[in-house]
Amino acid sequence: MYRSQTLAVKYLSAAIALFGIMTLFGLISAYYYLNPDFLFGILPFSIAKIVHINTLVIWLLMGFMGSIYWFLPGELGRETAGIRAAEVLFYVFCAAVAVVAVVFIIVQYGSSNEVALWLINQGRKYVEAPRWAALGIVVIMVVFAYNVIGTAIAARKTTGIITVLMIDLIPLILLYLIAFPAISNMSADLFWWWWLVHLWVEATWEVLIGCIMALALMQLLGTSRRIVETWLYIEVALVLGTGILGLGHHYFWIGTPNYWLTIGGFFSALEPLPLLGMVVHAVYDAGAQHMKTTNRPAFYWMMAEAFGNFIGAGVWGFMITLPQVNLYAHGTQWTVSHGHFAFWGAYSCGVISVLYLVLQKTRNLAFVDGPLWKWSFAALNLGLVGMTGALLVSGFVQAFVERAIGGSTLNAFISGQENAWFVDGMVARFLLAIVFTGGYVVLVWDALSLGRRAPAVATVAAAQ
Amino acid sequence: MSGLATLETGLLLGLYALLAGIWGVLWALAQFRRTPIVGHSAAAAYGLHTLVALAIIWWTPLGLGWKCLIVGSSLAFLAIPPITWRLLQHTHDKEKVGA
Repeated sequence: MYRSQTLAVKYLSAAIALFGIMTLFGLISAYYYLNPDFLFGILPFSIAKIVHINTLVIWLLMGFMGSIYWFLPGELGRETAGIRAAEVLFYVFCAAVAVVAVVFIIVQYGSSNEVALWLINQGRKYVEAPRWAALGIVVIMVVFAYNVIGTAIAARKTTGIITVLMIDLIPLILLYLIAFPAISNMSADLFWWWWLVHLWVEATWEVLIGCIMALALMQLLGTSRRIVETWLYIEVALVLGTGILGLGHHYFWIGTPNYWLTIGGFFSALEPLPLLGMVVHAVYDAGAQHMKTTNRPAFYWMMAEAFGNFIGAGVWGFMITLPQVNLYAHGTQWTVSHGHFAFWGAYSCGVISVLYLVLQKTRNLAFVDGPLWKWSFAALNLGLVGMTGALLVSGFVQAFVERAIGGSTLNAFISGQENAWFVDGMVARFLLAIVFTGGYVVLVWDALSLGRRAPAVATVAAAQ
Repeated sequence: MSGLATLETGLLLGLYALLAGIWGVLWALAQFRRTPIVGHSAAAAYGLHTLVALAIIWWTPLGLGWKCLIVGSSLAFLAIPPITWRLLQHTHDKEKVGA
């Protein structure tokens, strides 16, 4: 095994650990809606939410990096360039994440000055990490880009997938520089902040997961490179074509010119079209393989990725993307519902699929199956779908009672929060979050014990 | 747009996209399973999708431009599964010939 692949295992392990912390803080955040006095004076809702959202970003980023470190040496036929620096930075990355999390939880907030920005919190959603940690992330991403590009140069070769990946890493790093706030005008600041959030989530990350899924497909189903690369080019072009200008669908209530709302609504309304193509592609692959594979969990999680992306990003997004609806739905639990489903479908399922591929190789298993992954697959997906359904009901109440009828006043906000449907939605969300958490626990149990249990040995024997 | 119209429009738009997805999946499944029921179900899903599109056009207060987008998207949704399928078969066939 290459050193790069050993590093990949570490990154994926850290990602799954952070997935657990994200889930725990999501559960805590959900409980505040049922009992606002929970942890009063100890941990405010805002901090729990910050930890929940930031660990989401970091676990996915670590999952992507782990996936690339896993596939890169095999793809280019040599050890990853600069692997020593990457190994050192992995520990720096983990330590920095731990320090930032401890500061968030214990220090929580500071004065409105430069010291607080540098040491405690930059105060911008999704990228709250203090400036020193944000600088660290830039360094880590630059080294990561060097690992990929340097390996291609050292190997004197590249592939279609690696070329797309190398091109993608440039905007991925440049866009993150927006995480360093320097604009005092709030409208201008939010305008650019959305470039970071939207163009990471709906552009550069989409390309990144597209590359990872292409590499995983070749390993999982033995799909030929030519087919995978052809579809990567088509799908990346379509996703970028509709996704980039979809940026405007975030520009509500922050003082941007009106034309952005039309541009954003139009382009993001086109986003389900390529996603439908991906779903058809998934059905084609599944049918062509007769659902036969040596790694059933990886295969099913990959299918879940295609379907989850279409439903979470496509269907849930289409509900709210036209400006007439977005005007009321923006920033309610309706968009939270969409966000949960889209992140899960587009990214999380893909990373879990790669995790099972890696486990198969590292544990030297001829065949991966068993009851545990099915339980975790069912509980995680049912929990997630249930949570998004419950959030949707609460979001409807907010859009209807608080926004459309109440006109977004403080009184209307309170009316919305006290509405029985809103409260029931929040109760259902919490209960289903527990189901989701149970699914996570079983996932970890399966990952830790895969290949070490008697039934797994039996399935290997059966496969042989 | 009134509060009720917001919810109705949002729900109809979600249903519209969901039925397009069901149509695509059933159409693709029908290519593998030559049983008529799957093909008929795909047609029924697209029929329902068209009905929802009509409901969006007649009932919702969306502007004319957005309604044109709905019509155009419905046509694209109709074409995407067979086009994707043909492209997939084409690339796979080329691969087999190459091998």
